[in-house]
Amino acid sequence: MSGSRRAAPAPASQQAWLRLSGLRCAACGGLIEAAITAVDGVLDAQVHGPAQQARARYDPSRTNVPALIDAVRRAGYDAVPDEPCAARDQRRAESRIALWRLFVAGFCAMQVMMLATPAYVSAPGELAPDLRRLLDWGGWLLSIPVLLFSAAPFFAGAWHALRQGRIGMDVPVAIGIAVTFVASSGAAFDPGGPFGDAVYFDSLTMFVSFLLLGRWLELGMRHRAAEALEAAVGAMPLTALRLLPDGTARAVPIGELEPGARVRVPAGEAFPADGHLIDGRSTVDESLLSGESRPVRKAIGSGVVGGSINLGAPVVMQVERCGTDTRYEAIVALMRDAAVQRPAAARWADRWAAPFLWTVLLLAAGAGAVWSVIDPPRAVWVVVSVLIVTCPCALALATPSALLATAQAMARRGVLVRRIDALTHLAGIGRLFIDKTGTLTLRQLALRGTTRLPAVNGENGESFVNDVEWLQRAVSLAAYSTHPLSRALVAAAPPAGGAFVWRAVREQAGAGIEARDEDGRLWRLGAAAWVGGASGPADHEHMAACIGHDGRALARFDFDETLAEGAAEAVRALQADGVALTLLSGDTPARVCRLAQRLGIDAADAIGGASPEDKLRYIEMAQSRGECVGMVGDGINDAPVLARADVSLAMGEGALVARANADAVIISNRLGDVVFARRIAGRMLRVIRQNLAWAAAYNLLCVPLALLGALPPWAAGLGMAASSLVVVGNSLRLKR
Amino acid sequence: MNSDTAPPQPLLVYHDTTVRLFAYAAVLWGVVGMAVGVLIAAQLTWPELNFGIPWLSYGRLRPLHTNAVIFAFGGCTLMATSFHVVQRTCQVPLFAPKLAQFVFWGWQAVIVAAAISLPMGYTQGKEYAELEWPIDILIAVVWVSYAIVFFGTIGVRKVRHIYVANWFFGAFILTVALLHIVNGAAIPAGWMKSYSAYAGVQDAMIQWWYGHNAVGFFLTAGFLGMMYYYIPKQAERPIYSYRLSIVHFWALIFTYMWAGPHHLHYTALPDWAQSVGMVFSLVLLAPSWGGMINGMMTLSGAWHKLRDDPILKFLIVSLSFYGMSTFEGPMMSIKTVNALSHYTDWTVGHVHSGALGWVGLVSMGCLYHLIPRMVGRTQMHSVPAIELHFWVSTVGIVLYIAAMWIAGVMQGLMWRAVNPDGTLVYSFVEGVKATWPFYLVRFTGGVLYLGGMLIMAWNVVMTARAGQRVSIPVPLAVARA
Amino acid sequence: MDSLYLLVPLSVLAMLGVLAVFAWALWRGQFDGLEAEGERVLLDQDQGDVGRRTEESAP
Repeated sequence: MSGSRRAAPAPASQQAWLRLSGLRCAACGGLIEAAITAVDGVLDAQVHGPAQQARARYDPSRTNVPALIDAVRRAGYDAVPDEPCAARDQRRAESRIALWRLFVAGFCAMQVMMLATPAYVSAPGELAPDLRRLLDWGGWLLSIPVLLFSAAPFFAGAWHALRQGRIGMDVPVAIGIAVTFVASSGAAFDPGGPFGDAVYFDSLTMFVSFLLLGRWLELGMRHRAAEALEAAVGAMPLTALRLLPDGTARAVPIGELEPGARVRVPAGEAFPADGHLIDGRSTVDESLLSGESRPVRKAIGSGVVGGSINLGAPVVMQVERCGTDTRYEAIVALMRDAAVQRPAAARWADRWAAPFLWTVLLLAAGAGAVWSVIDPPRAVWVVVSVLIVTCPCALALATPSALLATAQAMARRGVLVRRIDALTHLAGIGRLFIDKTGTLTLRQLALRGTTRLPAVNGENGESFVNDVEWLQRAVSLAAYSTHPLSRALVAAAPPAGGAFVWRAVREQAGAGIEARDEDGRLWRLGAAAWVGGASGPADHEHMAACIGHDGRALARFDFDETLAEGAAEAVRALQADGVALTLLSGDTPARVCRLAQRLGIDAADAIGGASPEDKLRYIEMAQSRGECVGMVGDGINDAPVLARADVSLAMGEGALVARANADAVIISNRLGDVVFARRIAGRMLRVIRQNLAWAAAYNLLCVPLALLGALPPWAAGLGMAASSLVVVGNSLRLKR
Repeated sequence: MNSDTAPPQPLLVYHDTTVRLFAYAAVLWGVVGMAVGVLIAAQLTWPELNFGIPWLSYGRLRPLHTNAVIFAFGGCTLMATSFHVVQRTCQVPLFAPKLAQFVFWGWQAVIVAAAISLPMGYTQGKEYAELEWPIDILIAVVWVSYAIVFFGTIGVRKVRHIYVANWFFGAFILTVALLHIVNGAAIPAGWMKSYSAYAGVQDAMIQWWYGHNAVGFFLTAGFLGMMYYYIPKQAERPIYSYRLSIVHFWALIFTYMWAGPHHLHYTALPDWAQSVGMVFSLVLLAPSWGGMINGMMTLSGAWHKLRDDPILKFLIVSLSFYGMSTFEGPMMSIKTVNALSHYTDWTVGHVHSGALGWVGLVSMGCLYHLIPRMVGRTQMHSVPAIELHFWVSTVGIVLYIAAMWIAGVMQGLMWRAVNPDGTLVYSFVEGVKATWPFYLVRFTGGVLYLGGMLIMAWNVVMTARAGQRVSIPVPLAVARA
Repeated sequence: MDSLYLLVPLSVLAMLGVLAVFAWALWRGQFDGLEAEGERVLLDQDQGDVGRRTEESAP
């Protein structure tokens, strides 16, 4: 595994987590389990079908992870080591202890409630004093585990806060619990004493249970968000273009690479392993690893790191260290980070918590002082009620619970949120800039036709070359690029094998791809003007690419683009929601206008021929007008633009570059999900406002009641817990 | 790995002898218990049917009926299925198979002892705990052995996860042990005579703490365990929500312990204790229905299977009766409702909707699934006979409980009817006379139900004769040391 | 209600037992991977072949 490992004594058994593929049915899980268990040295194995995971315990002195993967492969499936297991283990331990605390509290609360009910339902004098004592002591006994174990996090949190000299939210809760327990213990063992004879163990245990329930639900939400993000990371393609000895490239799973393998890495893709370049030169974005966003130049011999992104030109690398470590650790850590980040709204709540809590403590102390004069036995209970009823947790939970629930709902739809804060902007965008290719139209263009271009100046040196051969040559060059036109070419015809060998391949953004053939001629494939020469009657309606050398275009390929499914409906929905739309594309203005017409977007809002710098300018202009700007994009060209917009969404199949800088990634690739994301973000804002309003109203109503002594502790506990649950429950509505 | 010289390893096989024996015994005692039930129903309709013979008197035969259907029929079914399920879900043969055989023969001895002692008039007078102290001791010994075999099998399991059905079985076994020992505490005063260790209303409280939890754990938790295994197996679909089944289990455990006092409304039990019982009986509604929904929704998306498969009909319809009874029960535990229903035949109707509808039908469904597989087949000798059994039983149940509802409400109203001057409108015997037709209908329902059971007995005999005893190997892949 | 002197401590003890059992289940991973476990019962090969005649192991 990558990174440094603390030296530890070799464990008797180790755990391995594998990610499986090829499971087609429920029985497959059992077969894989059997295959793994059959390996000598395996202690046990478990397959989680829906999650496509396997967990195995094995003796490291007798077998290892590659042997397990081998066994899975021989059974007819595939597996790769699953690195996020450490995060998962931590989550599992976290959720287990949370569930255990909740269970102890809940179970004891139930029993204490049963023991307390006779006191409530009996008429005065009906219950013999001895029996009453028995029931009270039973309640006391059962409250102890709740106090010492289940409620421990509250006490620990309060202690840490106080040590740092500030008041955390756990402080009033801890004080409330402690006071309730001490006073009830006094009432149980000395009924005639200063604490009166009313015990409130049922309130105590119920109140702790409800609090823990709220925390457990919140923890579950956070965990599921993290899991969704990790699963989505796993949904991203895991293949590399391995170069075979005959020069062809074949897509293989990353797990099949081994040191010494040669891999072609097109521009815009991530390096699948650690290694060094053996052909080509390029610039690489290593920001995923180092945080440094400035591209780093790489030449032949330069080391490259798995997970970094090739920006400039296609290259060939030789693998030195493979396995999915580097990339996964980086991206997963990233995702994990997003899941636990404290959004701005939560930080705001934190700031207000301290004054709020001080107020609560002072009010409680004041109420205690006043009541100890009016009616001393009640003083304790009023203090307890005030402390318990004013739970600022509702306030604290109001925003984060909604944010998380929304992120989860979106993840389920196929929209991965990377920066949760962006969600609050999403609902309020006034203008949305939309890229054309790959967003409104299918990335995959279709080749409509091949035209040999007439020779210029009478030269017809290559007129013997027919359409198909031109196509094959173009396809072999296009294989180095992930540009939509290149992909369309490749889709039209399979590569012709080693017939064409290219060297010094370089892709120029916005123009095309060039390379030298075995005779040293510089060929170009791309925009007509760049390739050079006449391309025939200018056809602005459809897309075309030309291929030629020495500044002369020799053949033209015409392409057709199709509207992405659901694009028209999505545009209409966005317009109906009041969002101004602007088409922003590098494609020719005429084509962009025509598309805008088809979609019902105003011609004034269809901007074609925009370079990346132009796009950036438009965004900045809109922002300077005061508009909250969103951008939906794809492709290498959009990366800096996405970073500039207030909210940026990237379509899932685009180059990793765009994903890295976008606030959210639409893995589903459906434009309709942008509409969904906006609407749910709007609902989220409404829910947050509702939550905050509820929390405020609840406190404003209940605190005076408690101060007046009108709220018995059990009601305070119930109210407080219920108000937290209301907030969490309201937020959970967003998941539907 | 060459094994030329080593002798072939014997295949590990499941120990199904005890399972098979218990399954047959269940059917036999089902017939016997229901026959006694029909007899005493007949006696309530035509009292001459005791013929003046003490051993045939209603007072002695009623506990014979309850013990036979609950402990003989129900008990053997539970033991058969729990031994079957624990082996299959743990992928290991029964722990201590000889002890398992002892459990079988010991339990039969208990049943026979009951069948002899109860008509002879030996009784402790406590409902569902009538058997005298020597038999109680035998029950305790057999039960402890049962626990050893069951938990021992779980202890040596090859599958790490303990399937939910086993949790229900385990809870049922442990709780019944606790209940039996506490409630059975008695001071012997002769070989077949004893006095309860508790007295008066205290004894009543403990008796109904036992009684209701016996219903809750013996007749509910245990059979829920069966349901959670046999419904997925018969429907060939997993349980609707496995997670919910776990929650269901723990929720049920939470709440069952304190519902007992609802049997003692308007008795000498203090008011507050009655109220406690009422509150917690109502709380029980939620977990019970959770389990019912979970079981039924297993067929979600495959309801058409109900059309063709009569065994699924038994299993799913049993769940609806379960739902009905677990709704009716809490309703009846409300004091105001109880004021009408207590001591009437409505209580009998409630018991039998649970017993015939839930316990009976689910047992039949599970046994119909289990018995063929014990003789190397996948289906009973006659599937149309199963279908016939289902319809006959269902009609019988409906007749029974409808008759008892009407009778019960009528009795309650008649007993409470008061003249303006405070005197009772009806004398007790007038109530009895008015109930008579319903006793006749109830008897008819019982006859039908018994008829269904006889059809089952025939089907079982034919299946056993046509099949052969087979040894079923424990799956090897997991059965490595 | 003297019976409660027996029943209350008894139920407290029972409750502690239940807590212990739940803890055992939770920490031994009984609640992990629940969906797969629900399906596992369907995978059991517990039918013998029809008509197979073999001596049963002695009880």
